[in-house]
Amino acid sequence: MSAEFAEWLRGRDDGQLRALVSARPELITPVPAHLAGLAARASSPSAIGRALDRLDRFTLAAVEALAVLPPPTPVSELRALFRRALPDGDPSSSELESLLAEAVERLRTMALAYGPDDALEPAPGVREVLDAPAGLGPPAVEVFRHYAPERLDELIADISPGSPDSSGSSGDDPRARLAELLAAPETVDRLVAEVSPQARAALDELAWGPPTGRLPKARREVRVATAQSPIEQLLARALLGATGEETVALPREVALRLRGGRLHRDLSPTPPPLTGAERPQSLSDRTAAGQAFTFAGSVEELCERWSVDPPGVLRTGGLSVRDLKRTSQLLELPEWSAALVIEVAFAAGLIAAGGSADGEWLPTPAYDAWRVRATEDRWASLAATWLAMDRAPGLVGERDDRDRLRGALHPDLRRNAAPEVRATTLAVLAAAGPGLAPTPESVRARLAWEQPRRRGHHRDQLVEFTLREAEQIGLTGLGVLSAHGRALAAGDPAAAKLLAPLLPEPVDHVLLQADLTAVAPGPLTGELRRWLMLAADVESTGGATVYRFGEESVRRALDAGQGADELLAMLERHSAAPVPQPLRYLVSDVARRHGRVRVGTASAYIRCDDPAVLDQVLADRRAAPLRLRRLAPTVIASRSSRATLVDSLRAMGYAPVAESLDGDVIVSQLDARRTDVAPPARASAVVNALDDDVVAAAVRAMRAGDSAHLARLTPVKEPGGPVPRSPNTATIALLQEAIRQGTRVWIGYVDGQGNATSRILEPARMEGGYLTAYDETRAAVHRFALHRITGVSGLT
Amino acid sequence: MNDGPLIVQSDKTLLLEAEHAAADACRKAIAPFAELERAPEHVHTYRVTPLALWNARAAGHDAEQVIDALITYSRYPVPHALLVDVAETMARYGRLKLEKHPVHGLVLTTTDKAVLEEVLRAKKIKPMLGERVGDDAVIVHPSERGTLKQALLKLGWPAEDLAGYVDGEHHPIALAEDGWTLRPYQREAADAFWHGGSGVVVLPCGAGKTIVGAAAMAHAQATTLILVTNTVSAHQWKQELLRRTTLTEDEIGEYTGAKKEIRPVTIATYQVMTTKRQGVYRHLELFDARDWGLIVYDEVHLLPAPIFRMTADLQARRRVGLTATLVREDGREGDVFSLIGPKRYDAPWKEMENQGWIAPADCVEVRVTLTDEERLAYAMAESEERYRFCSTTPTKTRVTEALVRRHVGEQVLVIGQYIDQLDELGEHLGAPVIKGETRVRERERLFQAFRDKEIQVLVVSKVANFSIDLPEASVAIQVSGTFGSRQEEAQRLGRVLRPKSGGGGARFYSVVSRDTVDQDFAAHRQRFLAEQGYAYQIVDADDVLAGD
Repeated sequence: MSAEFAEWLRGRDDGQLRALVSARPELITPVPAHLAGLAARASSPSAIGRALDRLDRFTLAAVEALAVLPPPTPVSELRALFRRALPDGDPSSSELESLLAEAVERLRTMALAYGPDDALEPAPGVREVLDAPAGLGPPAVEVFRHYAPERLDELIADISPGSPDSSGSSGDDPRARLAELLAAPETVDRLVAEVSPQARAALDELAWGPPTGRLPKARREVRVATAQSPIEQLLARALLGATGEETVALPREVALRLRGGRLHRDLSPTPPPLTGAERPQSLSDRTAAGQAFTFAGSVEELCERWSVDPPGVLRTGGLSVRDLKRTSQLLELPEWSAALVIEVAFAAGLIAAGGSADGEWLPTPAYDAWRVRATEDRWASLAATWLAMDRAPGLVGERDDRDRLRGALHPDLRRNAAPEVRATTLAVLAAAGPGLAPTPESVRARLAWEQPRRRGHHRDQLVEFTLREAEQIGLTGLGVLSAHGRALAAGDPAAAKLLAPLLPEPVDHVLLQADLTAVAPGPLTGELRRWLMLAADVESTGGATVYRFGEESVRRALDAGQGADELLAMLERHSAAPVPQPLRYLVSDVARRHGRVRVGTASAYIRCDDPAVLDQVLADRRAAPLRLRRLAPTVIASRSSRATLVDSLRAMGYAPVAESLDGDVIVSQLDARRTDVAPPARASAVVNALDDDVVAAAVRAMRAGDSAHLARLTPVKEPGGPVPRSPNTATIALLQEAIRQGTRVWIGYVDGQGNATSRILEPARMEGGYLTAYDETRAAVHRFALHRITGVSGLT
Repeated sequence: MNDGPLIVQSDKTLLLEAEHAAADACRKAIAPFAELERAPEHVHTYRVTPLALWNARAAGHDAEQVIDALITYSRYPVPHALLVDVAETMARYGRLKLEKHPVHGLVLTTTDKAVLEEVLRAKKIKPMLGERVGDDAVIVHPSERGTLKQALLKLGWPAEDLAGYVDGEHHPIALAEDGWTLRPYQREAADAFWHGGSGVVVLPCGAGKTIVGAAAMAHAQATTLILVTNTVSAHQWKQELLRRTTLTEDEIGEYTGAKKEIRPVTIATYQVMTTKRQGVYRHLELFDARDWGLIVYDEVHLLPAPIFRMTADLQARRRVGLTATLVREDGREGDVFSLIGPKRYDAPWKEMENQGWIAPADCVEVRVTLTDEERLAYAMAESEERYRFCSTTPTKTRVTEALVRRHVGEQVLVIGQYIDQLDELGEHLGAPVIKGETRVRERERLFQAFRDKEIQVLVVSKVANFSIDLPEASVAIQVSGTFGSRQEEAQRLGRVLRPKSGGGGARFYSVVSRDTVDQDFAAHRQRFLAEQGYAYQIVDADDVLAGD
């Protein structure tokens, strides 16, 4: 690390430092003790790598240029370099100037370059991390590093324009002499003119990168006079150098000359435009809303199905292929889409492994809370979960490296880059503006421009998944980001509100028809829906629901204690038209027979082994309306319905159980089961989502640490007097206040050895049970466990 | 929110609210690509299937139109997944085309090389194809034209058949419109078929499909082979052709169990065509007996499997299918599509009823209660005897008599399954009985007498359910039915519901024994009829008897 860079960083004002930390949040996890520490961290290879990953193609080109040109570099030289790579007049020179100024400012903000406009330098470490900047090979000095001096002399002799012993300015070092020769344009031009056309073609191939090639026996020692093949001609003239037994590289000086003074072949200072079909935004919103409604419905359907018939958890974790297939049939979705539904439900904590010895996938209690919320809120929570989840459902059904099928809910599906790819892809869609459905190719091209270093098959695949899944979840409609999708991607809580008016409104009536169907022309209100689920079978779902009445379903309603009159009254109340005659007939016909069955089996009788209890029931005044009749010492019959009887007995303080003729207890409904396993923790928040307070506090802490560091301040003495004491809650409140105000506090602290100490602190941040603060009594930044702080008092 | 009449379901059914102001416009917009599944009073259900979408493509509609119709009329936002699916499915039709090549004869061409590669790799397809001709075409063995189309449909890449037809042997046929004229929809149907080349015309029962067939023949002006379900139906066709066209007795041949005439226009039954002797179809040569210019398939939804196989070899001849429904119990809609052709015409059913072309009908189910002895006997009967027992109870006879009395002066048809019961009923009602053993000549005499209103009550066994035309039966009473599929049975029952000269509605009773399997079968019938939009009600036999 250069001291110069640390000094420059120290000279940045607090606002600039805050911008740096916001742009590169990994620099403050954990917070460095002082600015020198920050500078060290900012120039570590991994941190620089991550920062470079965030650069767009043009800014990256600028930093590459800085890495290639001899430092320090004036901005005007950068401009001249770029001008040569761009077509005349596009962009105009003033545009280029401002674009370049912007890029340079961005580099300074991110501390990837420093220094004034007339002497810009890449931050320490940048050159090393940029392995092949702009596709250029290493400088000649590097390429010929391992050559023996004799061999170097041979090369120099062969390529020097004059006598072999003409000494240059570099004194005795042949390597430097060779580099100097190659750096001279006329030498390169002359050497290139000498070689055969095939050799020339090979050079052109390497000129724009990749600058290395493989060939056997790269280290062969050939002279210009003895060179045979085209490659040998190049090796003999030092236009290629061997960097290993079988690898050769094109020296940077040669490549630069071959490129004709340009550094980049296709430099585009502005992002490529997004192209695609135009669609009315309102249409896309509606289509997306339809899909959102469907998606939330699918999740509910999934949980309902799994609550009565849960699939097993595989020994390796996850869901079996067969269960996924079955679920996709149940949900009437293709498998990839069913996998998405399952994975989002899982990430949202709606399903988890539970049941007997964690052997089944079951809905969690969180599902019950989710289920009763409004559709738009349910959707918003699912969509937000999807955005943040670090799993890639799109991988389900593909084969892994060992050629095994990837299953849904399997631990292997984690992809750390997924949330970030989703966020950037949606940002691109948002940039497309209203009504434009960018083609996947143009989205990919845009992303390639915005993050040229983040490429590769896996990433492209994640982008593809994102586009497909955004459509399936209803964030986009017909390829256009919907209004609610835009709000959601921006983290705006209004997303649900935007979606709400587009969703079907709940209705409280159905259309009854002679073919014994009832059509609910929209989602039904809760009570009616539950009632219809009982008295009819669902035939098709979607915007509307089609129910079918049949003997069996009517009987089910009667079993649940409904009377025929009640059923008909309910139908009449909720039907716009009169109840069709066949339906009326069906209900009374089933009820007629249902009554008969009740007499024999599920009828209203009370049975008790203890006659005394039955005596008591008969004697009870409250039993009078039940019109009880004793059939035997241990049996009482009643003309009231079973449900009434059971309810009345309950009211009288008994605990009756309904039973069948065999004496078995009747269980008329399957129990919806729940797991008690807590929902999995949400995917950890993406690091770059730091809020302003944290950033400001971190900068303050570093600045404070820095002044301490610089001043080599002697620690202040522990204040005398009684150690402050305050209740726990007050401690936290006081510390928060101090963080916000940037003031100092005096605390009592029990250290790791159990000694009671007192400190003067400048608190910076508080999280996870710890306080990070500059400790003036120790002149260093420390972390303090909150539970060991015995008290806080303010200092003035 | 849009206030449209249509609700799109996730299982690709479309619910159309019939009373909605825009319902008619919506029906017109979705009819090309969705099959009407049921049409009860308030909400009609249409289903969007791949075949329906390909039918729409064949009729010149594109995915944009379909999506536009869905979005325009849908009350709620249409799920995007469904729209994508529609577009993708429709895009599959016509990627492959069967065409005539001036040099190579029949070739399969494509607009999408990847699709051709995919089908070429299919094992079943390979043997049907010859050499590659360039990148995007391959020679097809002419004999495989039909089977290839079937196989391609199974792969999900239906081919558009543009290879054209042979003209066949010329034979002048014209419609003789003396005292009657072609109804507008019949003309449209025949024209639509002719312009499409080959295909299926869907018209409800009683809408005059025979006349559409005749009009198609008048277009073709060529020798014609007509395939019908049975002998009576063959006679009916012959009569109708004599009445409606310039054809004379000598020009029309019958090729049935009894007669084997081959004339310029020949009517053959499915049964005779599928008769095997020593494992060989005996009458296959009929297809080659003449150079047929047109083949008419009556009741395509009943077309038996062997006929499909024979039809596969007739792809160079024009084919027209006539049916009331494209839904087949055996699920071979795909074969109809690939071998006979796409749907060319589909009548707006409700409109036809409104215009009086077909009769509105009332269906009444009369439930009789078995006596206690009958109930006991029923409970003890062997399960295979139960249906017979409960559907022939004496109580039914009494109720039937009461119903016939109620409709004195109207033409009443009593339909049953069991001969004993029918004989008994015939005796009680003093009406002639037509059953399997009744000679064809006698049958036709009785039918004619019934038509002429010389007899008012006719008792018929299931033989009369097939393709017969009893225009003046305004009341039908079914006392026992077959246990066939609900589609088939109700279809047959629907046949008596034809337009009446007086314009009044038809009435269809079925007498059913309460709490027996008879009632279960009736439930299927009820569902089908209600779904067809017929008014349906259930009454107790006691009420009928009391009202007497």
